[in-house]
Parts: sequence; structure tokens; C-alpha cells
Amino acid sequence: MSKLNKTIQQKTAELSNLVAWFDSDDFTLEAALDKFKEAEALAETIEKDLKSLKNDIQIVKQKFDSEA
Amino acid sequence: MEKTLFSVSDFIATVNQTLEYAYPTVEVEGEVASFKVNQGKYVFFDIKDAGGSLNCFMTVWQLRVPIEDGMKVIVSATAKLTQWGKFSLTVRSVRPSGEGAIKKSFEILKAKLDEEGLFAPERKRLLPIVPSHVAVISSTGAAGYADFVKIINDRWGGLQIDVAHVQVQGTDAPDQIIRALNYFNSRDELPEVIVIIRGGGSADDLAAFNDEMLVRAIATSRIPTLLGVGHEVDESLAELAADVRAATPSNAAQILVPDKSEIIRTVRYQVGSLIPRVENSIKEQSMQVKALLTQSLAKIEDYLEVNFDQLDATRNVLSQLNPQTVLARGYAIMRGSQKIGALIEVETNKSIIKAEVKNVQTK
Repeated sequence: MSKLNKTIQQKTAELSNLVAWFDSDDFTLEAALDKFKEAEALAETIEKDLKSLKNDIQIVKQKFDSEA
Repeated sequence: MEKTLFSVSDFIATVNQTLEYAYPTVEVEGEVASFKVNQGKYVFFDIKDAGGSLNCFMTVWQLRVPIEDGMKVIVSATAKLTQWGKFSLTVRSVRPSGEGAIKKSFEILKAKLDEEGLFAPERKRLLPIVPSHVAVISSTGAAGYADFVKIINDRWGGLQIDVAHVQVQGTDAPDQIIRALNYFNSRDELPEVIVIIRGGGSADDLAAFNDEMLVRAIATSRIPTLLGVGHEVDESLAELAADVRAATPSNAAQILVPDKSEIIRTVRYQVGSLIPRVENSIKEQSMQVKALLTQSLAKIEDYLEVNFDQLDATRNVLSQLNPQTVLARGYAIMRGSQKIGALIEVETNKSIIKAEVKNVQTK
């Protein structure tokens, strides 16, 4: 798993945890604003990462038309 | 012209040299007859048509598709005169010819491999949810490959994609794909998934994906395989042996990676859905506070009411005990000594009377 993809997956999981917090018993109105700001920032980062990532396509040099 | 005198061996060698020079490789189409396998290694059969018949020889491991008597085939071979003077074709490869033969060969091999459990669902492995290192085996000039790359680039980024360029149709295709499979399976850093793709084509074009050795190589790959060959309606044995089958090369790309646009939409929705949740929470909590205040007020009112009631009761008792109340009911208070001739004071509700005691009797 590449570092960038791993980060996106981690961030997505982190965002899901944050969203789940709002439905959990730990929810408090006092902490909700900070958590919301955190979720909003995380969503922006995920979107930015996803839009900026490019695939690296390499044709392997090995020839397959005869036994190597 | 002087006649050349050959020994038998020299003549056979000269004929073979001439044949090799004239026909390095020949392709001959005919119907299989007298098919047999000796010692599990050597394959003998004849191919014939209405006008003639040819002996054919090959090894078992060169026979990549099942054939049987009566099947129309095309053999790729070199012509040879044996040391016993028999003319035969040394076959390098054989493939069914015509729709009927291709279908029959397909069904025979399918039944055989199915029996061996190569297509069993319990053998199927899951692909990684989001791979980061992918191997692709395809012809880089094929339309199917271009579709795959376009969809992959539209849907996801950050992938390392190693592409093995191979033929995806023709007699060389199975071996090239097998070599590419072996290449990726022997890397120090294994890709997480191998994708084999090829666009649509005729049954003959897709025949490479029914090659027994290729099907076995796919089934035994250490790395999970995803196959997107042909169109949705095409079914190849290679696809049946793969861990995951895609209907088309484009579909393979869709299966392989998530859609980033969809993830962005989901992420936005997730964050957007938090605002009403917080608003609801504020509403709920203010309602709770209001309810608690109402409850508190009700309790205070109850307490006061009880205390006022008690006060009223006490007032009533006190009022009954007031001497003035007794006097009002007609009683009187007498003050002074109860002796004859003594002066006493009698208080009624409305007056105070001075009197003298005239008589005292015991009740």
C-alpha cells in the first residue's frame, strides 16, 4: 500500500470515527464544535489528496515473446 | 548429369533438410483420427480429409487443448521423414478449427478442470479493497487496455501499475501470458493483484484464454487474479479459474479501485450531515432544560401548597382554642372564689358581670 493511499484510507477511517462520535454516548455539545471543525478540515484534505493523486504506469522491460 | 548415390541415412537427412528449407513450419487443417496417447507422454494421431491422411506426432505437454477423433483441427508442425521412412508431421501446437470443434474442446476441458476443482468457489480469494501496486497483463496497443487505463485514471490515483505487454490472441498468446504471470509471481515485491485484460473478439480470437496451461497458471498464481476478457457474454476458462471475473476491461477497472468522485461525495455528505445532528442535539438539550425547569417549578408549587394547607389546619385548631370563640358559643368565664357571700366576675360573649355567690352545691 502506497504511503499516499494509506494516508487517504487512514483519513477516511478517522473521518468515519469522528462522524460516529456524534452518534455515540460520548457526544457532548461542548466538544461538538471542535469535533465538527476537525471533521470539516479532514474532509477537505481527503478531497484535495484524491484530486491530486496520479497513477504511475510503467511498461516492464522484460520481453515475454520467448523464454528469458 | 551425374546421379548422386546416397546412403539411406544421408538420403533421409537430405530430404529432411529440403523439407525444413521449403516448409520451416506448416499449418495443416484436417479431421483428427486414431488419436492416442502412449506412456502418458507421446501423442499420436492422423489428420485427414477426403483426399488423404497424415501421421502426426507431438508430446503431451505441447497439447494445450483437448482433442478427440472427428474433431476438426489446425496443426502447426514441421514435416519430417522418419528413419523408418515414414512421413509425419511433428506437431508444435494444435487448435480446434470451426465453431463446433472449438465449443467441443472447450466443454471437454471445462469438465476436466472443473472435476479437478480449479473453478471451485472456495478457491477464490478476495482482492484488496484499495490496492496500491497492481500488475497488468495485456497488449498495450489493444482497445481494451486503453479503456482500462482511462477508467482507472478517472476513478483513482496513487497506484503503481506495472504492465506486461504480451500478445492476447494467437498461438503464442498463452505462453506469453504464462511467462508474464510467472514474472510477476517471482518478483521480490509482489503486486497485490494481477489484472489480465483483453477486449472483445471472435471465439477464435479469445481461444487463447481456453488454453489448459494458461488456465492452470492462473489458478496457481500466488497473487490474486482479476480477468476482464471479451464482452459480458463471453465466457473463457481462464475467467472461471481467476479469483474475480470482470465482464469487460472497463469493468475490471471498476472492480479494482473505488471511485474517488463517489468518495468525495460521501465525505461531503458525512460532514454535511453533522450540522443537523448538532442542531437537533441543541434543540433536544434546550427542551430537556425547559422540562427540568417546569418540573422544578411544579415541585416548589406542590411544596408550598402542602405547607399552606398545614398552616390553614393549624389556624383552624388555634381558632377553636380561642376563649372568645367559646364565649361566642354561649359559655361564660367565672373568676373569683366559690364561697357563699364572695364577689365573683362573670364574663360572657358581650358583657362582664359582677355578682355575689348565694349558694354553692356539689354536683
